Amino acid sequence: MTKRRIKVATMAISASLLLGSCGNSEPEDVNTVDLTDTLTEEFDVDLFESPEMDYHLPSPLQVASIFKKSGLEYNSGVTNPADNAGNYSAELSQMLNFGVYSADMAYCVLNEQANEGRIYLGAISSLAGEIGMEAVFANEDLMDRFDANIENKDSIEILMIDIHERTEEYMEENDMQHSSAVHFAGAWTEGMYLGVFDYENNGGKDGLGAQITEQMAILGNIIKGLKDPRNDGMELGWVITDLEAIQSKFDGFASVTSYYEDETAEELVLSDNEYSELGELIKALRTKIING
Amino acid sequence: MKKTLSLLAILGVAFVFAQTASNLTEFKENISKQKVEAKKELKPFRYDGSKVTYFNFKTYKQVKEVEIYLFNNTDYRFSFNGKSLPNDVNIKIYDEDKTVSDRILLKETSGIKGANIIIESSELNKTYQSKKSGSSRLKRVFVDYEIPGVPGAQNKKPTMKERGAVILVMGYKN
Repeated sequence: MTKRRIKVATMAISASLLLGSCGNSEPEDVNTVDLTDTLTEEFDVDLFESPEMDYHLPSPLQVASIFKKSGLEYNSGVTNPADNAGNYSAELSQMLNFGVYSADMAYCVLNEQANEGRIYLGAISSLAGEIGMEAVFANEDLMDRFDANIENKDSIEILMIDIHERTEEYMEENDMQHSSAVHFAGAWTEGMYLGVFDYENNGGKDGLGAQITEQMAILGNIIKGLKDPRNDGMELGWVITDLEAIQSKFDGFASVTSYYEDETAEELVLSDNEYSELGELIKALRTKIING
Repeated sequence: MKKTLSLLAILGVAFVFAQTASNLTEFKENISKQKVEAKKELKPFRYDGSKVTYFNFKTYKQVKEVEIYLFNNTDYRFSFNGKSLPNDVNIKIYDEDKTVSDRILLKETSGIKGANIIIESSELNKTYQSKKSGSSRLKRVFVDYEIPGVPGAQNKKPTMKERGAVILVMGYKN
């Protein structure tokens, strides 16, 4: 953000110097005061002023960790194949699947599938190059560190935290924070899909069911982030529509209504039918995302 | 003569601009260093992310709010760094956002200017349970930064001494 403004302002100054020093006509209306005002205002209004209401979204590693603690088991072959990474040519699908693969990598690493995790690190690096974040992964030491620690789950998790932190810093420095909602939408959908798959296929797990409903709390802020005007050129309409449909379906469930009416209710548990309806919507959105 | 004056004026603007850019770069660099400091205080909790809240002190009081999710079976640590603050701010943590009139105040702290403060979710949960009978646990919290009014502050064109930021780094127990 800073860099962009500085560049604009530098261009304005250069143009002023150029205009002021050439031509035969006398510049009757040179108004330096206005220029100062413009520059100062650029900094004052747009930089270093956070919104009145902001939020923090959990990292894919934390989400995967919570799901695991809630009873999620590893299911081989459920994640988005890393080979698909080459099929994503549109910016939106590259960004969404960057998030999907981040969730898949976290899922593999936490479930001690380091070799799979390594493949996803490759897919993430490749998509990062496509979406202007190659610098995050430019340092070859990431893959070397992964290989050196492949038998050590804790070290691999720390490596994932480093990648997350590098991504976070890079996006902040380059005025790309609005894009993080797009990555997160992909990661959230994949995390929910993995949860729903396990819930449906490995018997009723109350803890896992409760975690699926708990993750719904984040959805409102993801949608808000996607609607940031700086994301306008990305044709996000269908993603927002599908996520809003998921939110609306969830809000309309009888279990949800009664949970919010009862102040003493501890955890929100959906009925089997409600889980099934929610799961269908999540699976449909996930299919659209991974199909690019 | 007129041309010379114009050129001088433009050079003056360029100098002011360069100075401002340099100050802002330094401000950003300090924030990066303070984030590292705040992160160190998280241990043994695992880093999950950070949120820098930027503001300019004005002649009137302002409130900036950050929403944070707390998930089941997980303990969180919040590390607040106020070393980029020219004046102190008040930190208040609530169970609901600022549009809810009967929200519960879970924690209030001041003295963050020049300091790093740690708050854990276990403490917030205890307060929540003691203030709201029958409730189980917090599912999210809202961190409010109360930024006091500063007499004489430049509301429209803040100077560097009116700029401030609080760095919040979050971690969870694995």
